[in-house]
Parts: sequence; structure tokens; C-alpha cells
Amino acid sequence: MLELDIRLQRGGHAMAFAIDLDEPVSGVFGPSGSGKSTLLHCLSGLLRPDSGRMVLNGEVLFDSAAGCYVPPHRRHIGLVFQDAQLFPHLSVRNNLLYGYRRLTAKQRRFELEPVVELLEIGELLERRPGQLSGGQKQRVSLGRALLYSPQLLLMDEPLSALDERLKRQILPFLRRIRDRAQIPILYVSHSLDEILYLTQTLTLVDQGHIIGHGAYLDVLSQTDTAEIAEAIDLRNLWSVEILQNQPGHGYSIARLGSERLILPPAPVDTGKTITVGVRAAQIALSRQRIEGITIQNQLPGQIVRVISRRHGALVEIDAGVVVVAEVNGKTVEDLNLRAGDVVYCLIKAQSIEYPDC
Amino acid sequence: MTLTHEEISAVALSVKVAAWATVLVCPLAVAAGWLLARRDFTGKALVDALIHLPLVLPPVVPGYLMLVLFGNQGIIGKWLNEHCGLSFAFNWKGAALASAVMAFPLMVRSMRLSMRLIDPRLEGAARTLGAGPFAVFCTITLPLALPGILAGLILGFSRSLGEFGATITFVGNVEDETRTLPLAIYTASHVPGGDAEAVRLIVLSMALSLSALLASDWLTRRVESRLGLRGQNA
Repeated sequence: MLELDIRLQRGGHAMAFAIDLDEPVSGVFGPSGSGKSTLLHCLSGLLRPDSGRMVLNGEVLFDSAAGCYVPPHRRHIGLVFQDAQLFPHLSVRNNLLYGYRRLTAKQRRFELEPVVELLEIGELLERRPGQLSGGQKQRVSLGRALLYSPQLLLMDEPLSALDERLKRQILPFLRRIRDRAQIPILYVSHSLDEILYLTQTLTLVDQGHIIGHGAYLDVLSQTDTAEIAEAIDLRNLWSVEILQNQPGHGYSIARLGSERLILPPAPVDTGKTITVGVRAAQIALSRQRIEGITIQNQLPGQIVRVISRRHGALVEIDAGVVVVAEVNGKTVEDLNLRAGDVVYCLIKAQSIEYPDC
Repeated sequence: MTLTHEEISAVALSVKVAAWATVLVCPLAVAAGWLLARRDFTGKALVDALIHLPLVLPPVVPGYLMLVLFGNQGIIGKWLNEHCGLSFAFNWKGAALASAVMAFPLMVRSMRLSMRLIDPRLEGAARTLGAGPFAVFCTITLPLALPGILAGLILGFSRSLGEFGATITFVGNVEDETRTLPLAIYTASHVPGGDAEAVRLIVLSMALSLSALLASDWLTRRVESRLGLRGQNA
């Protein structure tokens, strides 16, 4: 899909990005100032690299050797900015249609109504951006980029200007776009949690270079820089089916793979599927099932691998679903945890969250 | 107070000259403002300095240069007279040209400032939505700069109302042709016993300029609120 090999000077730093990208959704992760935004701006065409080559879906967008440079307005690459960048003098409707109107009927893959419905912005259409809240702005900005039917959608930390509550409101919309729009997405963030919510594919950027790309645990097992170690707060996300949800019980029961999971009261009805999240650091491991303990969930599984990190270790466990537990280095040594060992993942019901709600 | 023929003539002529000067120079000032606000090129500092030259030179100098270039015997003036039948010598068109040249730097400054205040990322966002450079200019830069452009126009208009030095040097002081308000005041003040007449003209001049500035303020506010740039929490 995307072949990239570019070099440029930026603020006195030499940057070089080289990658072949085939995954539909990839998260670009790295500390602030690592060059993530620069990378996106090069892709969108707003920034011209000094040299190199860039090919998207077989079309050469940039080739310094051949003197080829496709300007941003001919690339059909959408860019969602950190702070929405809505046009203040246009109504929400005209903001949404700004790119759409520049397409021929054949190029249009989305229409106004379904996009408005998807993002729940129908009420806002006649308003001006100045009258919108931060979260509403960002939804309109997403809609505007979608309606341009881009062949690649770039998101430059679209949630970083929002507070926690709003982030949780917008994230499900990003998932909806991922699932329904069928547009390749490159999602830049300095929050691994946000990225993993959308994709398991990680592109790691540090000091102006791409230092890793692939399934996130593979990438994390190969790289261990201080910034990345600090920034990581892994969260398991599982899709579960609610089996029992009786009001007044104070808990619900769900099926995760072949196991049963006890959770806080579910916000959906019995029979529905929902995403639950558990932080890797909240999961304890045990060699055997423990009786007489308040922890109600004990998922048996087999260790796939132990990934040593600067602060402790990540243990990947196959328990029907992939479970990642974060433990400290001493535990790994004391328990002598190794790939192939059978362990029980201890999960307190209270540590289970519903990130979509 | 009833106005005399001379007073009406001076006011009407002033307004006509200032309006023409403003309208003529507006597209140029917008283009120059955009160039200085949004483009980097070699010699930019020189272009910037040249544009601002009329602002800092004694007005007699541009007036004299215009006389040399645009007079009926001047290089450009002669050509225009022969090919377009356009003459600037000692008529109101010359006065308008003189005002335009003198107002140009002020207008460029206003346009440039208003465009520099626009976040370039808005223009970048428009580019990624399929708008070419010209479309971006027309749909983003120009509308967002409109309050500043209007302010620049009024500023240019007011400056033209007050234009004196370059006008009198270039096209002289001809009643009904080039005797605008400032020139009429100058004339009255040089006639023995013309003080009362000068004061009347001065009052007229002040009223005219004040109205222009008040109109500017009202217009700018209206445009800003229509553009959604005012009175919001954005």
C-alpha cells in the first residue's frame, strides 16, 4: 500500500523515515518531538522532504531523483489535525462539504447523511465552529476528512487536545470509522492505549527515525528505550458476550473465549457483545488456582513469551484470548516464568472497565 | 451652514479622488499583502522596503517622480496618452494616481497583517481537502482576511482624503480638477482674510474623515460577526 523512504532536515535534526506499510490501520507511536507529525505532514504533502521516494497504492507521490512531487491537493490523503482546524467562517455543513464538493460524483464514496449519522453531528450542521465544544469540533473534523473520500486517512493526535472524558467519547467514533469506512488509517499518538484501542499494529518512531513496525508485542519486545518504557501503560481489550446481567446483583457474567468472567454491572443487555479493558499491570499471575481469595476471575492459560522491559516484564499468555500481564522483574525470576508454562491470570472484577461507554 | 460652490466642489472632488485611488490600488495591495505574508522569495526585504518607500519619503519626492514618469512628456504618461488617450496632467485622474501611490503602503500593511493572523494550518487543511493554492486563497485566506482588508480600504481612503504634498507637486492646484479639501484649505489660508473659509473647510475635512473611520469600525464589526470571528468562545 505505502512505500516510504524519505529524508529531511527539520529544526537542525536529520530525519529519515523508511517503511513499507500494508496494514489497513497502523498506529504511529513515539514520544513528543520524535517526528511523528513531521512524518504525517510529509505524507500529506504539506511538507516536502529533501530527498527520497514515496509511493501510495502504486502512485508515485514523491521522487526526488525523478523530480516528482505531487502537491497536497492532488494526493487525496486526508489529514485530521490535533485541534480540528475547522474553517471558522463556514457553517459546520459547509465545513463538512468543503472537500466533498471538490470531488466528481464518481470519486465520492461517502455521502453527507450517513457520515453525519455516524458521527452524531446532525444537530450541529447550521452552527459555526466557534459555537462547538472541543469534542464536537473534532467529530466534525473527522467527518470533513471522511467526506473527501481519501485513499489514506492520517490522524495527527486527534484526541490530545481533549480531556479524558471527551477522549472516551470520541474513541468509539474512531472505531466506527475504522470498521465502516474501509479507509487505510495512520493514527499518530503518544498514547499507546489509544492506539491499541484501534489497532494491534504499531509503528514506533524515535528521534526522527522509524525504529520498529509490526504487531505491537513484537515491536515492544525488540525495542526498549527509556521514553517508550515510561510512556507505556498497556491495556488488554477483549470482546465479551454478556451472559447474565441482572439489575441489583452488583455484577454481571460474561463469556470470554471458553471462560466465564465476572464483571461490574454491564451497560448493555444480556446476549450483547461489548469491549472490556483491563490494564496489564492489574493482572496478577499464579502457578495454581487459588481458593479462598476475593479475586473471582482466574483465567488459565499458557505463557507464549516473556518480554523483558526496563521496568519489569510483559508476559504474553494464551488463555483462549491474548492476555498481557505486566509484572516486575523479580517476580519473573522468583517464579521462574518461561514460555510454555501454565499460569492463572488473576483479575479482580473491579479492575475491568468498559472503554466504549 | 450652507456650502459654497467651492466647498461642494472640494468635498466632491476629494471623495471622488479618494474612492478611485482606493478601488484602483485595492487588488494590488491584497496581492502584495499576500506575497509578503505568505511567500518567501529572494529580495523580499527589498520589495518590502520599496513598497514602504512612499510612507517615509517626503511626499514631494513621489510627486516629482510621478510628474517625470506620468506627466504628458513622461515616459509612461506619453505612451498612455498616445495609446489609451489617458492623461494624468493637471486633472483629477492624476490626483487619484498620486493618492493611490501614497496610500498603497498603508493598505499593504493592513492586508499583510490581517493575512498573517490567519493560522497557516487552516490553509494546509484546505489543501489536504483538494483545494489548490488559488482555491485556498479565494475560499480561506480572502474571507478570513476580509475584516483586515476592509480596514485597509478605509485607511487608504482616509489617507487619500488627506493627500497633499504629492498631489500638489504632480498635478498642481486647479479648481474643480485637483483642488481637493487639503489643497482648498491651503489656498484659503494663503488668501488675505481667508481664515474663516479655512476654518469651514477644516470642519468639513474633520467631519469627512471622522465619518470614514466610524464607518470602518461599524463595517469591520459587521463583517467579523458575519464570518463567525467575533463574540465566541473559540
